[in-house]
Amino acid sequence: MSDKGRDTEPVFIGIGEQPSGRYPNRPFMGDLVRVGVAAVKDAGLTMGDIDTILLIPCLHSPADQADLVFSRVVEELGLNKRAKSQYMVHSGGSTSDNTIRDAAGLIESGHAKNVLVLQAEKWGSAPVKDMIDMLTANGIPREWEKQSGLSFNAVGALIQRRYMHDSGSTPEDMASVCVALREWANLNPNAMYKDKKLTVEQVLASKMITDPIRAMECPMLADGACALVLTSRGNARKLGQERVVRIAGSGGCVSHYSIGQERELGVLGWELAGVEAYETAGWGPEDADIAEIYDSYAAVLTSGMEGLGLAPKGEAARMFARGEFSPGGRLPTNTNGGLLSAGHTGVGGGTALLTEGVRQLLGRAGAERQVEGATRAVCGGSGGTYMDSQVLLLEGVSA
Amino acid sequence: MSSSNDVGMEALTEPYYEALRRGELVVQHCKACDRQIMYPRHLCPFCYADDLDFVAAPTTGVLHSFAVHRVGSPTGFEEDLPYAVGVVKLEGDVQFLARLWPDADGDWGRYACDAEVVFRAADPAEMERRPVPWFGLPG
Repeated sequence: MSDKGRDTEPVFIGIGEQPSGRYPNRPFMGDLVRVGVAAVKDAGLTMGDIDTILLIPCLHSPADQADLVFSRVVEELGLNKRAKSQYMVHSGGSTSDNTIRDAAGLIESGHAKNVLVLQAEKWGSAPVKDMIDMLTANGIPREWEKQSGLSFNAVGALIQRRYMHDSGSTPEDMASVCVALREWANLNPNAMYKDKKLTVEQVLASKMITDPIRAMECPMLADGACALVLTSRGNARKLGQERVVRIAGSGGCVSHYSIGQERELGVLGWELAGVEAYETAGWGPEDADIAEIYDSYAAVLTSGMEGLGLAPKGEAARMFARGEFSPGGRLPTNTNGGLLSAGHTGVGGGTALLTEGVRQLLGRAGAERQVEGATRAVCGGSGGTYMDSQVLLLEGVSA
Repeated sequence: MSSSNDVGMEALTEPYYEALRRGELVVQHCKACDRQIMYPRHLCPFCYADDLDFVAAPTTGVLHSFAVHRVGSPTGFEEDLPYAVGVVKLEGDVQFLARLWPDADGDWGRYACDAEVVFRAADPAEMERRPVPWFGLPG
């Protein structure tokens, strides 16, 4: 990449992450400050350089979320009277994409110099039943759908059955999506399932939970934390950074609120989101080196791969089955293991995928899973009942 | 947990629930642009008029997708297991989530995406408790 880039262009320069899984002894605020400090160090900055903190919400506790809103992080990081602004952005699983757009706008316009994006979640340590009831109570229309007994797994199952109907994908094909993600997780020391192998046979032998979705096709709720640092490209040059990640393109589509109002359950909003993103980037899906697309159920990922042009219509699940998106495959996809195998950290699942995309493009993914020469990443998030499809196209460049 | 939406929502929910309690299905309708609306809204989402009423809905539709809860449910639905929900599309371009009756085998294996389904209300006590449309296979 010889793109010189304007001085005001927003770029990623650092990341931080805590391992995902069940860590009941890791306090929420402790995770936040640890990933924050790690990301600032990774960026070659000191904490005092951060003037703006953008917060990605947690879902495990209204009290902890209130702490976020009311500046506890600023105090914990010793930034009292030094931070200019801190606030929360929230659109569920697509929050990271919207937060990055916000950070980019602040930097480009001069409202912020160095932005720290922070996320932590304690879903893995919270009572599972409470969390599942919370998901059922919120985001599902209480007047029109709640009394039908719709569970969140059923939201995934409605999408998966329609995707399978449209594409002719078999249960084996869908299971292979989970297996490919597990192969990536096995290479990621921060993944919840870093040590556990998974086969298609194991997935198909697991209990049917919400037909057609089986137990091993459901995401496991996890604790986790991520942080990202963005600055201007001019500042990155002054800091002597060699490699930075720019936002080449961005697009989105809000398709529905109620799952009962999504007109194409096997498609969602990905295609509409991709058009604008590729147009602004000036490159297409065929140019992507890696993909990091929201995957809390297999069909959410396969519909995303197809809608974003990374697989021909109806072929994504079969391509997963052929290993095309696995380690060593044609297009490395969800290289951290995704939500299904790195762990579903609530709103943070999308943040973890985005963090992994930036990590890969900065060349910091470690010997085992670094995709050699990775320059272009297609990243996508989705919130609520897959109410939106948000896309960021990232590009690793010389500062 | 309640929300501020719950107060004053009766104007939208009651005509719909009331029909379901009678074993009938209605959808919202805009008198200004003559389009059907689901779910019921405060203003017409097509022309933003507030001249809305409820009209009888067709009783046959097409199943877009469905899911069968076999293990695990939201609190309060444990005794319903197994049970199925599906997204039903009606003529008039409206769609919604519905409960699905078990088929002749006592399961949901005879249901299929894009196949016809028919409105068939549950008993009055169930419709009173949980006003939601129920659909079954034709015949």
